[in-house]
Amino acid sequence: MTHFEIELERLKTVIIKIGTLAEIQVSESVKALLSEPIEGKEVKKTESKIDKLDVKIDEICQSIFALQQPVASDLRFIMASMQISNEIERIGDLAVSVIKRAKNIKDKHDLISKFNIADLGKQVEMVTAKTNECFITRDENTIGEIFILNKTVKNKSEEVIHDIITEMKLHSKVVMSGTNLVIVLKHLERISEHCTNIAEYVHFIVNAKIIKHDKHEDLNVEE
Amino acid sequence: MKNIKIEVKDLSLYYGEKQALKEISLEIPRNKVTALIGPSGCGKSTFLRCINRMNDLIPSVKITGQMLVEGIDIYDKNVDVVNIRKKIGMVFQKSNPFPKSIYENVAYGPKINGIKAKNKLDEIVETSLRQAAIWDEVKDRLGDSAMGLSGGQQQRLCIARTLAVSPDIILMDEPASALDPISTSKIEELVHELKEQYTIIIVTHNMQQAARTSDYTAFFYLGELIEIGKTNAIFTKPEQKQTEDYITGRFG
Repeated sequence: MTHFEIELERLKTVIIKIGTLAEIQVSESVKALLSEPIEGKEVKKTESKIDKLDVKIDEICQSIFALQQPVASDLRFIMASMQISNEIERIGDLAVSVIKRAKNIKDKHDLISKFNIADLGKQVEMVTAKTNECFITRDENTIGEIFILNKTVKNKSEEVIHDIITEMKLHSKVVMSGTNLVIVLKHLERISEHCTNIAEYVHFIVNAKIIKHDKHEDLNVEE
Repeated sequence: MKNIKIEVKDLSLYYGEKQALKEISLEIPRNKVTALIGPSGCGKSTFLRCINRMNDLIPSVKITGQMLVEGIDIYDKNVDVVNIRKKIGMVFQKSNPFPKSIYENVAYGPKINGIKAKNKLDEIVETSLRQAAIWDEVKDRLGDSAMGLSGGQQQRLCIARTLAVSPDIILMDEPASALDPISTSKIEELVHELKEQYTIIIVTHNMQQAARTSDYTAFFYLGELIEIGKTNAIFTKPEQKQTEDYITGRFG
């Protein structure tokens, strides 16, 4: 391997690392929502690791740009890496917000089973896992699966939010926990959206086409 | 079609038994910079030399196919080589000024072309030196020997000397590879300015120089033209895997 290839490999490894940490945070946030409260210490530790890696990725990219003048697929990989690490860092932050807010939802379990939120949580976990997978494999089918899952998450979340609002209108005692739950759902939706952005960057690495503002239906990826 | 300055059709070149260029076909647009890239021995310099028939000087060379400059095949038997070379100037890797004064270096070409009037020659010398972005540095010492100039200045003087005989096409073979970054940047800037008036073809080993200076890039490998396209496309999304491997430094 050339010196340059070693640098690219290093960048890839760090992104896989930060992606794995974000995946852990998302799993913890789903756990915090669906079952028991989560130990805050561990979450904070992971959060700070993610922040450090995010900075490290910027530094590696900056040095590659300055010293190696990457072109073609290398250039796309580095451009995408900077964006991907940004997206992953936000996924981590959102997961932490979910964990914090989940604590404050009274009668959480009743609401969760009533609105069938468990499914949604699992789907968000799955999108996150698939996103890390597609960065490693660069597989176009996985990219397509992420787009579909994101759509499912979004539709489901909108549906549930609508039901929660109806419930709040009928019973004022659920307004507080209902509002918290709506915010949590919005966070989960955003996590899935960030995963989709990452899939779009992977698509850019592979196909040299920027699709971030395209409708996924128009793309050639198999959904 | 009128924007095509040079059209090459199935051009092959043999050094004795060895085929150095294999059926090259491409079009070089007018008033644009076309960069030729590829590893050593890929045929890019040989191809460049075909454009002004410099390879004629090598006895074992055989050339087939057509090299149409403005629609005229320069390898046609009825074509006058001297006239071709007047229209096609060349700048080499190593600056090679004549061991004469700065003024004489530039005036030499016009003089042998029959221009005698001092004021006319003065005018050509000044215009050429200005176009080559070196006038301000030498205007007060035109009578000094060209050999006393720095490497970068010598190279720009050679460009001025080329411009003095008003060519249409300028061929540059690694024009900045022996220069420091400041001189290199001056030459590159100059290439940008000159393309307003000339069609420029530049051979370079420096990929970033090709990317910075050219509008079109042609990639040669083992005597074949692998790919030619807009420089922006070649350096962001080349169509051929060989091109991608070469520009990203993963060749072989």
